[in-house]
Amino acid sequence: MRFHLPPAELRWLKSAAAESNRPLQALIQRRLNREPLQYILGTQPFGPLSLKTCRPTLIPRPETEDWVLTFSEHLSKYFSPLPSRPLTLLDLGTGTGCIPLLLCHLWPNSSLVATGVDISHAAVHLANHNAALCGISPSSFTAHLSDFIDSDFPNMQAIKPPYDILTSNPPYITASDYLQLSDDIAKYEDPIALIGGYDGLDYYRAIARLIARDGFLARRAVIALEVGHNQGAAVCDLIRPTGFLPTVWKDPWGKERTVIAHRR
Amino acid sequence: MPVFLKPSCTRHSFRSLASVKGRLASTKSSEHSSRILRAVQRRINERANIRSQLSEDMSSPQDIAKLRQLKDSEPLQKVWDKWTSALKVLEDLKPLLNDSDPAMRNLASEEAVELDEKLSIILKESFPSLLVPRSTTGDLSAMLELKSGVGGTESSLFLETLLRMYVRFSQSNSWKPTIVVNNENESGGIKDAIVEVKGSGAYDILRWETGIHRVQRVPATESGGRVHTSTVAVIVLPLIEEQDAQKEELFSMNDIKLEVMRARGAGGQHVNKTESAVRLTHIPSGITVSMQDERSQHQNKRRAFQVLSARLMGQKITREIAERRATKNSLIKSADRSEKIRTYNYAQERVTDHRLGLSIMNLTSVLDGDGLQQFTDALKKDSEDTAIEDMLEKH
Repeated sequence: MRFHLPPAELRWLKSAAAESNRPLQALIQRRLNREPLQYILGTQPFGPLSLKTCRPTLIPRPETEDWVLTFSEHLSKYFSPLPSRPLTLLDLGTGTGCIPLLLCHLWPNSSLVATGVDISHAAVHLANHNAALCGISPSSFTAHLSDFIDSDFPNMQAIKPPYDILTSNPPYITASDYLQLSDDIAKYEDPIALIGGYDGLDYYRAIARLIARDGFLARRAVIALEVGHNQGAAVCDLIRPTGFLPTVWKDPWGKERTVIAHRR
Repeated sequence: MPVFLKPSCTRHSFRSLASVKGRLASTKSSEHSSRILRAVQRRINERANIRSQLSEDMSSPQDIAKLRQLKDSEPLQKVWDKWTSALKVLEDLKPLLNDSDPAMRNLASEEAVELDEKLSIILKESFPSLLVPRSTTGDLSAMLELKSGVGGTESSLFLETLLRMYVRFSQSNSWKPTIVVNNENESGGIKDAIVEVKGSGAYDILRWETGIHRVQRVPATESGGRVHTSTVAVIVLPLIEEQDAQKEELFSMNDIKLEVMRARGAGGQHVNKTESAVRLTHIPSGITVSMQDERSQHQNKRRAFQVLSARLMGQKITREIAERRATKNSLIKSADRSEKIRTYNYAQERVTDHRLGLSIMNLTSVLDGDGLQQFTDALKKDSEDTAIEDMLEKH
């Protein structure tokens, strides 16, 4: 398929070339090879933040940006930020760190203490780097290397339950969908951040097991899970038996995108 | 021996001397000057009055307000002191102008000329600029919208030139210009553009650029060598910060329809499209803003709200001006967007501002140098004169 470079992309590439002193032609060639624009430019705006993006860590999507901004307002209905008694947050599969970093940025200083985990060294490194870039101190956010579907995960030293907030944008693409993805995703982004098993639900099953554990989440905990466009109902079905009451938020394009759950 | 003083200037300065009062012909300009002097005198008297009311230890709450008023009128007092002392020296000089010693007479007349010039500058420039009521929009940044009009590609090519002119002009005024929308024309030039110009006073200076800008030249694409006339529309709006926009209560969120453009298929992890266009509609006014030049949904949304606020603020200011006063005296009536304000004629190397009737015979200096400043200075002067007229008429 022939790829046509949109004028806006050309403009961004031009200014990136000028700023970083790289030859424009090389940047355009990379884009024509279907490399994601965000890897070439090296950044992606996420709410008011500018995050570093680096191959192969999953690039933050606009759907995620949208629900995290809404979720921040949603949280303020349930919790009042108090630096003396900060809220604790756990983000599973943190990638660039976009979800916890934006929430830390939006909430008053030191009213939120967030932990991110990821199975990828590159992601953990990038998330911690992004925290520094966004001026968020290690006492507010730290990313750790860890596989959250491992049965030993809750006993890890970095994991300190109970958490007030659990967020995740876990891999949710089904095995068959993965084969249909366009090159810019399939050839460049980490498959481990994308493929959610045969039916795309593997990681939600792991999350359901975690939240069902006694004392893993606080009494008034709130959960936000990004889901694939047709997974809202299935994820709700996995969450309900854990004692949490799920609702589904749509994204700005009308697709079911986020499962929000409160304790019953 | 005759004394060579510039007649008009002498008239102004001596006019306020009691000794020559009433001896002078009342031309329109001296009439205007004496009104300005009266207005200044009134302010100075008010100031003296306020000062006399200050309590001994300056402890009462009213004193604070009074001190603030005194502070505000301090620059005027300083210039007034200069004015009176120069007048005094001039008065003292008068006997010497008829001195028997020619050398002394010469010396005196030279000094009188100098003093007279000084007085004339105070009267014509310093006093009026200090009397101008503080602009309510004086702190605001500006948002320039440029749209190509008649002339197709030629209009878009000229738009690109104007865009560069405004960016340069903004930089040389120490403002910070950012091109936020830049819709390129496939066959050359730019179809439309929006520039944010951040900096105090940017709006007050740039607002007079609103209107139709006309270019007359042989287009690069014209093989017959004929001169074409094309146009670009410029609209300058006040840019206000997000917090201020909320304070101004320009719109309610309930009146806003927000749409995201273009389907994203499955979306989420399945898709990585870089476009994130949004469209805002302000239902009561019917204003729509589309924004797609930023890299994220959030940024495009913010920009769109910024443009919407600027447009609504522009409407509000226009409405307020219309309510406050009839602008009959103004050369430049409140920004009429359809008015042809300026012509750029390449063959004659000429730029004419039709409101001022002023031509600059150096087109290059307007587009690439500091020529535009001459127009904006003249337009600013005109608007200040109008403001002073309005103020004088009230008394």
